[in-house]
Amino acid sequence: MMPRFVLMPLVLALLAITPAPAAAKDVLKVAPDVTLTTVAGQQVHLASLKGKVVLLDFWASWCIPCRKSFPEIEALHHEFESQGLVVLAVNVDEEQRNADQFLAKYAHTMTIALDPKGAAAEAFKVNAMPSTMIVGRSGHIRYTHKGYTDKVIAKFRAQVLELLAEAE
Amino acid sequence: MMRTRLALVLAVFTGLAAAGCATVQPWQRGLLADSCMIFDANSATAYMTHWQESREGSMGGFGVQGGGCGCK
Repeated sequence: MMPRFVLMPLVLALLAITPAPAAAKDVLKVAPDVTLTTVAGQQVHLASLKGKVVLLDFWASWCIPCRKSFPEIEALHHEFESQGLVVLAVNVDEEQRNADQFLAKYAHTMTIALDPKGAAAEAFKVNAMPSTMIVGRSGHIRYTHKGYTDKVIAKFRAQVLELLAEAE
Repeated sequence: MMRTRLALVLAVFTGLAAAGCATVQPWQRGLLADSCMIFDANSATAYMTHWQESREGSMGGFGVQGGGCGCK
């Protein structure tokens, strides 16, 4: 049997290195009012977009699935922009030149925002890359997606259509 | 007395070791996702190993089974 004087520090160490479990029921409802800066240098206040359906896509140049999701999100932007969908592709690269290199490769017209310190990502409790949130007209986060697979885009499309059809 | 001291030393060291642990947020993983962080990411290394194994007849010395003929 392990002596107590050895066991105690081991248990303490285990407790210390075990990350605190994320509150499973900590569901974020109202979208936090973050202010994002676009690559063009403009400020976007999320609260000012209340009344519109907003799709926030957190991505990074180093994120492999983002190479697939980025063009698909761009296609959604093209399809639903005229119906009032606002797409904000939030880049979380620490160095903007990495984002710029990525953006040079992938054609885009959607709004690209920069979040190098991860402030918006933290506010939205992003815990996977990419992460996509769809905010309804009321300003509530209605759908959250972690990661990306080819099957997901059909869901995004259906959810965007559903939220666009809702009255404010 | 001795045991108390030992427990104290263990507690201090484990505490210090545990303090080195940090949670890296998903958006902070750019450096970790860099190709240089991948084991054997450099294909030139694999080629050089293959060449060296063949040249020195030491196939298998790098953890790969083979007959030493350079034809793995």
